[in-house]
Amino acid sequence: MKEFFERVRRATSGRSADRGAGADGSDPEESDGPAESGAAVTDGGVATGSDRGGTTGDDPGALRRAFDRIDDRLGRDFVESSPFWLPAFLLMGFFVYGAIGWNVLISLTDYRGFGTVDYSQLDFDMYVRAFQSSAVQQAAINTFVLLLGFTIVCLIFGMLLAILLDRRVRYDNSLRLIYLLPMSLSFVVTAQFWLWMYDYSNGIVNQVLGLVGLGPYNFIGNPQLVLGAVIFALVWQYSGYAMVVYLSALRAIPDEHFEAAKVDGASVVRMYWRVIVPQLRSATISAAVVIMVFALKAFDFLYSLVGGYRPPNGADILATLMVREAYQNTNWAYGSAIAVILFMMALAVIGPYLVYQYRNDAL
Amino acid sequence: MGDVTLDGITKRYDDVVAVDDVNIHIEDGEFVTLVGPSGCGKSTTLEIVAGLTNPSGGTVTIADRDVTRLPPKDRDISMVFQNIALFPHMNVRKNISFGLRLRDFDSEETERRVQRAAEILQLEGMLDRMPDELSGGQQQRVGIGRAIVREPEVFLMDEPLANLDAKLRVHMRTELQRLHDELETTILYVTHDQAEAMTMSDRIAVLNHGELQQFAPPLVCYNEPANEFVAGFIGSPSMNFLEGEMGGERVETPHFSVGVDPAAVDVGADGPVTVGIRPEDIYLRQTAATVEQPTDAVEATVDVLEPMGDEIFVYLLLGDAADDGGPTVEGADEASARSDQLLMSVEPDVRLESGERVEVVLDRDRVHLFDTGGDARAHGVAEGSEAPTEVNADGGEGR
Repeated sequence: MKEFFERVRRATSGRSADRGAGADGSDPEESDGPAESGAAVTDGGVATGSDRGGTTGDDPGALRRAFDRIDDRLGRDFVESSPFWLPAFLLMGFFVYGAIGWNVLISLTDYRGFGTVDYSQLDFDMYVRAFQSSAVQQAAINTFVLLLGFTIVCLIFGMLLAILLDRRVRYDNSLRLIYLLPMSLSFVVTAQFWLWMYDYSNGIVNQVLGLVGLGPYNFIGNPQLVLGAVIFALVWQYSGYAMVVYLSALRAIPDEHFEAAKVDGASVVRMYWRVIVPQLRSATISAAVVIMVFALKAFDFLYSLVGGYRPPNGADILATLMVREAYQNTNWAYGSAIAVILFMMALAVIGPYLVYQYRNDAL
Repeated sequence: MGDVTLDGITKRYDDVVAVDDVNIHIEDGEFVTLVGPSGCGKSTTLEIVAGLTNPSGGTVTIADRDVTRLPPKDRDISMVFQNIALFPHMNVRKNISFGLRLRDFDSEETERRVQRAAEILQLEGMLDRMPDELSGGQQQRVGIGRAIVREPEVFLMDEPLANLDAKLRVHMRTELQRLHDELETTILYVTHDQAEAMTMSDRIAVLNHGELQQFAPPLVCYNEPANEFVAGFIGSPSMNFLEGEMGGERVETPHFSVGVDPAAVDVGADGPVTVGIRPEDIYLRQTAATVEQPTDAVEATVDVLEPMGDEIFVYLLLGDAADDGGPTVEGADEASARSDQLLMSVEPDVRLESGERVEVVLDRDRVHLFDTGGDARAHGVAEGSEAPTEVNADGGEGR
């Protein structure tokens, strides 16, 4: 450890890059090094004869060379920089990735009820059971519909709003704020007041539809409608986010592109369709990923909608099913298996995005 | 035919007048440059011709059609932009053919025109590349290609070379001239670079504060600037200006006087004038043999030397700055500092030292006089110099 701090000290004083060939073999300062740290300021790997002779198992020089080997393998300054990233790395590793791993492990057992986990018998029984369960299948379909429907509608709506705002509408700053505000609300609040809005007899949605001679509809109670109603409420909350992402992308497109398209004879619709929208690709991707993650997290919205683990018929998604199985029915292993399935779905969304970003050097 | 007429074009933004009653008539096939400092209204004027901005007043006529209220696409124009504005998601071929595809040209004709544009602009091998794979000059050629495939009546170019490096800019200047010779299409070109304006144009329109200052061929603007602004803006380095006082047949400046010929100048109107002289029309006395109508020798001190290689710019301090016994003219104190300094250019083989006393003469034939309002009063004050042609800045007839 002393050696380690010695290295840090040397690094901060700007003399750390000495593991290459004998740069400091002739360094005059080297002469007082051994005196100070006890024979240990060897010159990173370019051992002199006496040094080589004196190397024993517990010689700090061995530790130095071990560090050097790590550095050679994992990149320069791996060891020196570790105080900065190692704590966060360990915390993340333990609480996120460790927890995921443990969850996967539990999903392979038959753990249920109260008691201790039996890790002796690991198999895929829970997954087989999950894939054969119609509840899981329905929840997976609902999750998928929610994911795609919510994301696509949100993006389209957000893009239209952004284009309208970008066309120099008056008060566009206050409008932007108005559209973005719902995002600051918690899912719990949104769920509560959309519950009131959707109320069968007194809800404002049915009142308004009644004015044009439609309804009333039982938005929450009807399994055919409930998923659409949920998606609509979520779009209301999140289209503002898509709008902000698109708006900043639109503002980054130089005016000349609009002018060039106009001079070249494009109508407004064609100008947007052929020139502007194609340039919003990366904005679409990043907005879509964030919105999809929100869609997968819609658990709290559905939980607040009914105040329990059992969402309305037709709106059961994997997240609610998972929590219900685990905490209501104490089918821990089964719940874990559903969690892993959900995790894989999320990974399928995030993974390609991360790869794309990594390839573009954005990560 | 592709002639363009701006008649009383005015553009007001709230309380700012960006373009003030500009009248220009551009002949078919002419290369006209709008030039002026930043914020002079030249880009706004171009946008009005393009139809991207609506004028507050006046009419735009292109090819004998009043297009003032028509959208850009119906004006039979195409435009090249300063920052090029290639669509990043389309390759070169698609960028060039964009306007044609919008107009539903059949693919054979489109391809023929794209090929021809690529040939003219030397872009043959690059049609399938994406814009970000091209150099700046190639990108700008694609931008020009996008304009020429449409075969419009008028090209509008908004500082197309401003974002290129200096060497490429000079090269592209000649390319643009070649293109103009080849296509014989009217070009309305905007730049703040007077060298670009001088070298390429048939006529230049100098704008300042939204007002047309002069509309004339480049050399006329250079030799017979309509006013002090044009005189100072055209030409690099710019003209020297000295405060002076007209009296009798002489103009007195704080440090020297210039004899004026009554035939060349209306000497009746005594009073303050501004004397303008270009750096290349000032000579060292010993080399002034070629000057037919020199002024009396003017004493000066060499202040700073700027060797450019092909010539040397010499900053001179007029008068007897070293000792206090210098000539004092009434009002010299309040005469602005510019009356004490002269910039001249000399041959590169002339040996001068900073601090050296020299005697210089001015070519009287090339001395300009401006009245207090800045309007030109005389170009050349010597015998035989012609009185200024009546330059009509408003009507645009000053050819």
